[in-house]
Amino acid sequence: MELRIDHVSKEFKDKKAVNDISLELTPGVWGLLGANGAGKTTLMRIIAGIMHPTSGQVVYDGVPIQTLAERYRDVFGFLPQDFGFHPEFTVKDFLAYVAALKGLPAQQARRKIHKLLEQVSLADAADKKVAKLSGGMRRRAGIAQALLNDPEVLILDEPTGGLDPGERVRFRNLLSEFAHDRIVLISTHIVPDVEYIATCHAIIKGGKLLATGTTEELTKLVDGKVWNCTVPAESVPEYENKLQITNLRNENDGSVSIRYLSEQPCNAVSTAATPRLEDLYLWMFPESSGENDRRYH
Amino acid sequence: MRIFRLELKRILKSRLTWTLLALALILSVLLAWLPTTYCYSSYTDKSGNEVNLTGLASIAYEKERQADASGIVTPERVREAVEIYQACLTSYGVTESYDLPEGVYEKEILPIAPLLHGVKEAFADPDTGMAPAIMEIDPARIDDYYSVCEARISSLMAMEQPGSPAAQREAMEMYQKVEKPFEVYPGMSSTILDYQNIMGFLVLLFCVVIAAPVFSADYQSGADDILRCTRHGRSKLAVSKLLAALFVSGAAFVICATSHILVVNCLFGWECTKTSVQMLYSIVTLAGMNIGELQLLFALAGLLSVLASVSFTLFLSSKCKTTVASLAAGLVFCIAPVVLSMTMPGNLSTWTCSILPASGTSIQASILYAITDFKFLNLGGLAVWTPYAMIGACIIEIPLFAFLAVRSYCGHTIR
Repeated sequence: MELRIDHVSKEFKDKKAVNDISLELTPGVWGLLGANGAGKTTLMRIIAGIMHPTSGQVVYDGVPIQTLAERYRDVFGFLPQDFGFHPEFTVKDFLAYVAALKGLPAQQARRKIHKLLEQVSLADAADKKVAKLSGGMRRRAGIAQALLNDPEVLILDEPTGGLDPGERVRFRNLLSEFAHDRIVLISTHIVPDVEYIATCHAIIKGGKLLATGTTEELTKLVDGKVWNCTVPAESVPEYENKLQITNLRNENDGSVSIRYLSEQPCNAVSTAATPRLEDLYLWMFPESSGENDRRYH
Repeated sequence: MRIFRLELKRILKSRLTWTLLALALILSVLLAWLPTTYCYSSYTDKSGNEVNLTGLASIAYEKERQADASGIVTPERVREAVEIYQACLTSYGVTESYDLPEGVYEKEILPIAPLLHGVKEAFADPDTGMAPAIMEIDPARIDDYYSVCEARISSLMAMEQPGSPAAQREAMEMYQKVEKPFEVYPGMSSTILDYQNIMGFLVLLFCVVIAAPVFSADYQSGADDILRCTRHGRSKLAVSKLLAALFVSGAAFVICATSHILVVNCLFGWECTKTSVQMLYSIVTLAGMNIGELQLLFALAGLLSVLASVSFTLFLSSKCKTTVASLAAGLVFCIAPVVLSMTMPGNLSTWTCSILPASGTSIQASILYAITDFKFLNLGGLAVWTPYAMIGACIIEIPLFAFLAVRSYCGHTIR
């Protein structure tokens, strides 16, 4: 099983949202990381077959998805970033409707809906109208619909938005369980959501693919660039001004522990820290931590 | 079938749908009853008191007074009515019935009035079209009443369609085929069918409001992204959505039209439906049918018009990104025949109003007025009576726009 994104580009009138991306997705959980506007949603829509690329193609097991058409959609599940549904429909109605469209027999659909509602902790809200759901509940209903047909390829665009920490953990566990022998691609700019469950990551910026690899492979890219040190509280503004600080923690003695990204340590007391995926993300997207431009020392 | 059922459920679960359907049904019944409120009669009773009657009492009174006029409109009966009319007016020394002393019209003329319908028109001047006063008509000429009517359609068509011999010929042939002698059963007026027209137009508007968001609401809410990624989320879903919207609209129109016609006929009397169209509209109306058949034909044409309009609205919905845009576009096309019939020059207006999907039930330009009018569409040497063109256009438009809607939905991609 392989999903190949083959030199895919998408141009809009005034911008190139996806710029010649090639990627081979194999079974496992993939994290698609990128800041807002990086082109994640466009790429996911192209993979979902609901947006035509300007050039390139998406190929599933050697056949372009446009050729596979219904056969591709049969093994495909998609959660868009943002969706609504007819306000008078309950969660159960909504799932029954999608199940019918996915071609699930009525009885099987009922069993599957029941099971999924339990799994996404929506059993109590089954008869609640979709319009009355909170953001997190709607997200969970969206996840449930994507899983209805046990898809071989599951694409989730910002699936954890609006979920509380407990729900996030449940979602990660559900996905880890589900991902066995399937391709799951999760787009997010919340790095910890995919750090532990994704076997591989793809990082895009400005529509271009910057890097791919496992968490270990990718974090190597910022090896020696992540530092820890403790500084007096009054000098924090000065450090903030000259460093890309990724974390600040007040200590009991009035000092502040800082974690920062830099080619070189900023002082003699800085110690090298073990890089995490979030460090790489912030290294690649300095604007995410409030930096306009990377500072090199 | 399951997707169709679920789609039907989706449409019928909407509070807006139920509100509009309930409103349509209430208005259908209300519009059937409303013409009775305009009926008014007065007479002087035996004690010399003036009695004013309104509503159903007035209808019953006039029906009773005109009971003798009911039946087949033979030339002999028309001649007799004209002679009574002329004798009455002569005896009072007047030339028009409105100059008669109070109470005389009700007593002398009202009972024979239904038979006098169309007499003046039949004897209109062939060159000017001016109708004479009944007093000027020679009763002896009425012995050949229906030949006079046929001569009248010939002169009328020469005036209406001077450049189209084909239309003149077609009209003559149609009128010759109309069953004669006519029949008349007093009690109904043409206002009743005007109200059926209003009912049809309102149901059309409601159906368009229900159909407008069918595709565009999913585009707007983002639900389309999910549905489109499913196995049956393209052509099958599009066809199911389309059939469900057409089914709801069609059923709504059938229920409303049936209720309306049933109430009208119960209020005014079922026997009135046997009246020939010519005895309520122009004496030379080309349609060979009675009022009951006209009600049904108008309802059938209205149904086709509603389905064509809904089909067209669904096509618009498949093209629009928001429900507001699809709703606005749908409603614009609903009222387009009304506006165009008033603003466009003659021939262009006839063509446009015959082709637009909403024309069948449009106010002022509906198939009802086309049936009782003498307009033809001329194409080369061919002349097509506008009601045929309207019905034909709807029959073509229903599957055409349905196909285009499905095609447009399937090809829809986010840009």
